[in-house]
Amino acid sequence: MRGPADQLSFPPGTELVFGPQAARRQFISDRIAEVSRGWGFTEIILPAFDSAETFRDLGDETELYNLVDREGHTLTLRADFTLIAAKALAMELRRERRQIRASYEGRVYRFAPSGHGHRVEQTQRGLEWVNAAGATYDAAVLMMARECLNAGGAEDAIIVVGHGGFIHAALGEKGRNERRLIEALDHKNPSRIAQLAQRVGLDADTAALLGSLPLLTGGPEVFKNAREFKLNAAADAALSELEGLYRLLEEAGAADRVLIDLGEVRRSDYYSGFMFKIYHEAVGEELGGGGRYDRLFDRFGMDVPAVGFGFNLARLAEATSRNGYAGTPPTAIASSGGADALKKVLELRRQGKPVDLKGDA
Amino acid sequence: MLRMALPTGRMLKQAMPFLEAAGYAPNEPLHETRKLTVPSKCGRIEYLLVKPVDAPLYVEQGVAEVGVCGKDVLMEVGADLLEPLDLGFARCRMVVAGKPEIERKLDNLLSPVRVASKFPRVAQHYFLKKGTPCTVFKLSGSVEIGAVLGLSHYIVDIVETGTTLKENGLVVHEEIAECSARLAVNRAAWYAKLAEVRELLNNLKQSVEGASHD
Repeated sequence: MRGPADQLSFPPGTELVFGPQAARRQFISDRIAEVSRGWGFTEIILPAFDSAETFRDLGDETELYNLVDREGHTLTLRADFTLIAAKALAMELRRERRQIRASYEGRVYRFAPSGHGHRVEQTQRGLEWVNAAGATYDAAVLMMARECLNAGGAEDAIIVVGHGGFIHAALGEKGRNERRLIEALDHKNPSRIAQLAQRVGLDADTAALLGSLPLLTGGPEVFKNAREFKLNAAADAALSELEGLYRLLEEAGAADRVLIDLGEVRRSDYYSGFMFKIYHEAVGEELGGGGRYDRLFDRFGMDVPAVGFGFNLARLAEATSRNGYAGTPPTAIASSGGADALKKVLELRRQGKPVDLKGDA
Repeated sequence: MLRMALPTGRMLKQAMPFLEAAGYAPNEPLHETRKLTVPSKCGRIEYLLVKPVDAPLYVEQGVAEVGVCGKDVLMEVGADLLEPLDLGFARCRMVVAGKPEIERKLDNLLSPVRVASKFPRVAQHYFLKKGTPCTVFKLSGSVEIGAVLGLSHYIVDIVETGTTLKENGLVVHEEIAECSARLAVNRAAWYAKLAEVRELLNNLKQSVEGASHD
């Protein structure tokens, strides 16, 4: 048993935020919620845990928090929003097949070893646009992400766009299941990529393209540079699709601070089309990301194209912390007993002004 | 300007000629200074002098946009960063070593083995992949003694020439990885400072190619 002298504490990696930091977080969350509403999205409130089946495809199962209910079923604490949202929206789609725009906020839980400053409990805010096929929706999602960043005070953030289908095609039949090769691509490590390409026995064209992916990052010149390699039909089609999306953004005046990264592989099996990540120079890790996942609903026996994205609110708050968010300072009112001070407070509150009431005790 | 996490000690000595050849000579000799940060003469780099094991963390967290990190340390720390260039120096091998008479095949042993290492995470992960249960003891130095005096059956350590192993009557049983110094880059900086990082990468690449032709 803990004695009264023990320090109070929470387990490592849990999220505890209070005071000005919490106020900034709430401010950012409110701005993103406003943007979502502005684009016609409706809030969806989702369960905090679900059967383990829902999160099975997330990859590393050791990252999941599992629990067993009283009847012996294995449940998993919400580890991802898109998967659980897709299940909920599939239920809605069975009733009526229509376009759905849903936004959400809440916590996700993934185990992370201590020592890296990673949190096991993270708050996300994001959205899903379901039954949305075509480049217009792709561009719209990127525009919304930018609008959220601007509204939240992270105007400098960079949106990095890649393509899941391109990576899939570039890896080819042989490379697709080579976990270590994909890892080397993820770390943009050309010498390791070359070594593994040889070990796996990839043909020269595939190996040359994969070895160059780490440097296929930058502006629209990346499309031209990629075409200097021999691409298979699927890779070429994916590249053209991504280039089309970039041109569309340019024409719409929304290509500012958008970079291309053809070597982006993270969760490339999950995204069927374009995918993106958001970075800010003040924060070492990504602020959020999203993309197109047209095969997401396959598991529910439905062919439903969908796009979406999510923000990590703690990191977004970190990126904007230099802007020194400050709310309106409250009016101080001291009571000396009686109703006078309370009346004054009531009047200020009717005008919507913040107050700082001090009691007489 | 980019901040570069640079490990002090032996790694620093080996890194210096590469950095100088690439045009990033420091403002003052780094092995003598007691400062924590020193700019380069050209003003494009600020060196952040850190312990070798800490370098990956500074880069991962974006305190330094880039860093020079040993592959052995990167493997142990498991930091999430980019590794776009093998700098080629500080070459060594990460190996499993032990007395010559010990069971050589490490796959799926049914009784747990005892392993001593300065790299407990690497050791644990390697034996886990082999399907062999193991107990890992973390040591801070003179790891060979672990196997010589029977604290452990095996050690997991880095070897350059193998002289130390030989002198202690130990042999290499398996090689885990080839290690060398790497240029590590923070994920956000790769995009947010694209031009600067690319310039550094190209200059260092030339410096590495120059060294391999000597």
